Amino acid sequence: MLHAEFADSFGNFSLRVSLTLGMETGVLFGRSGSGKSMTLRTLAGLRTPSEGSVLLDERTLYSSAERINLPPRERNVGLLFQNLALFPHMTALDNVAYALPPGRKGREHAARWLARMRMEGFEDRLPARLSGGQRQRVALARALAAEPKLLLLDEPFSALDGPLRRSLRRELREIRAEAGIPILYVTHQIEDLCSLGDRVFVIRDGQTAESFPVERLWEKGARGEAWSALGWGNLFRGRITPCESDCACRFEGERVCLSLDGGAHSPGESLVFVAPDKIRILYPDIPVDPDLGGNVFSAVVEETAPLGGSIRLYLASENGVLWQAEHPSESYQTLRLRPGSKVRFAVPPAGIESWSGGPSPR
Amino acid sequence: MTAMLPPLLLSLRVLLFAVPLLVLLGGGIGWLLARANFPGKGFVSLLVQLPLILPPSVMGFYLLFAIGRNPFLKSLGILFSFPALVLAATFSALPIMIQSARAAFASVDGELEDAARTLGKGEWTVFRTVTLPLARRTLLVGLALSAARALGDFGVSLMIAGNIPGRTQTLPLYIYNRVETLDFAGAHVASLLLVGTGFASLYLVRRLEEGRNERRAAC
Repeated sequence: MLHAEFADSFGNFSLRVSLTLGMETGVLFGRSGSGKSMTLRTLAGLRTPSEGSVLLDERTLYSSAERINLPPRERNVGLLFQNLALFPHMTALDNVAYALPPGRKGREHAARWLARMRMEGFEDRLPARLSGGQRQRVALARALAAEPKLLLLDEPFSALDGPLRRSLRRELREIRAEAGIPILYVTHQIEDLCSLGDRVFVIRDGQTAESFPVERLWEKGARGEAWSALGWGNLFRGRITPCESDCACRFEGERVCLSLDGGAHSPGESLVFVAPDKIRILYPDIPVDPDLGGNVFSAVVEETAPLGGSIRLYLASENGVLWQAEHPSESYQTLRLRPGSKVRFAVPPAGIESWSGGPSPR
Repeated sequence: MTAMLPPLLLSLRVLLFAVPLLVLLGGGIGWLLARANFPGKGFVSLLVQLPLILPPSVMGFYLLFAIGRNPFLKSLGILFSFPALVLAATFSALPIMIQSARAAFASVDGELEDAARTLGKGEWTVFRTVTLPLARRTLLVGLALSAARALGDFGVSLMIAGNIPGRTQTLPLYIYNRVETLDFAGAHVASLLLVGTGFASLYLVRRLEEGRNERRAAC
């Protein structure tokens, strides 16, 4: 059980973290620069906050009131660094054995850890002669060999591509089940969050804004609110009114009006959520599908962010709304979108979710 | 030929004392400049580089003045004796060692040291097992260059140790004396010896640097 509550500042950036994590995997989710890595470093003891407390299983790791500040070596907190921090002058085996007491027993134990990470036969390789995925495994073995009471992971898989990421995620899930320790995972990628996490801590501008179980992201009703807390997706507040013609509805928000499908929406004050992958970029020379119900917007591309197989687009529409869209990378290339290019996109009515608004369901 | 032997042995004896001093002082100051933050750090890092560009006579003059005017240091009888030679050799070579040590320690990724800390290691173990092995090559390069510089010191030695044959006459000073007495053959032999030593140390440095680049290329 980890209980941390601390404040810190660095230049004009201030950090205020409050999180409680049981025997589960917490995901610290936020954009880059929101203070995620700083939080991990503080928990590991590599950084001293200005005030607060960090408790792990009844052990006080840090307390400004009691003037306790355990150095990293006494904390028993494992940290998997973003760039892994393998010792370049040591072989894979030596790297893992470094976490263990010196001697033959330690080396045997290290070899077992490597074997467990499916790294037999690579014991004598230097990190420079291992592939990215193999290096990840060695780093994970090293962090686990120290038998930490809390494992922190700082976007360790960010450099890997699809299949490798998936297999390492699977391994991490197995390890979590075996080790029975809290794991805190830092990421800004939705896929990692969904596939690994039990609980999300959203961090925004150095503040842990809220936390909720990952399932919330799939619950009908709370879904949109949860997604938008992650800063992901498009959420609008407004009013749904039934239309006279056909059996559709119409949503009217402050800045956005959308046509909706009939059955799924109830009239009244509502929140409307459009997931980024539901937004469809329109090819300039292809006629617009009538099913899109007139939800077509013109926009300028503000920013593009590649996310592996897909690309995140920030689209500023004419009515002053910044939309988030996700688009498969291949078709993105044929569209040749760049920041500043003009684009038309559509919001298919079937991709719109709504629920009655009022006070937010947090 | 035999006349060259005492100065040569003296030079080697100076080196024997100067090298450990260079390692400790140069390595220590280099580490501080690379890793520590203290007020006046910018000034200190300029100050320690000053001997590189000052004329040796100026360095020697200030040392002479500092030691001669301090009753305690003066009573130690350092001036115009063997300790003065060690001091002169160390001071003139120190900037090179500091600069190399600073670069060596700065090149070690602090995250590796942090990783070692989270794996339960204390500061000394971290330094011994991570920092030092990774900084070693650059440190050795600095040591080879600064030792060669210490061996060749002329000006500072002349100012604070004099040029007393048999007592404070090192090889470079011996060459000067040979030339003064028009014994060019003697000067040639001694000079050639120093050229050879310099060449050997530069070759060693190149080998060390090549080794490092090969390791980089393997990454």
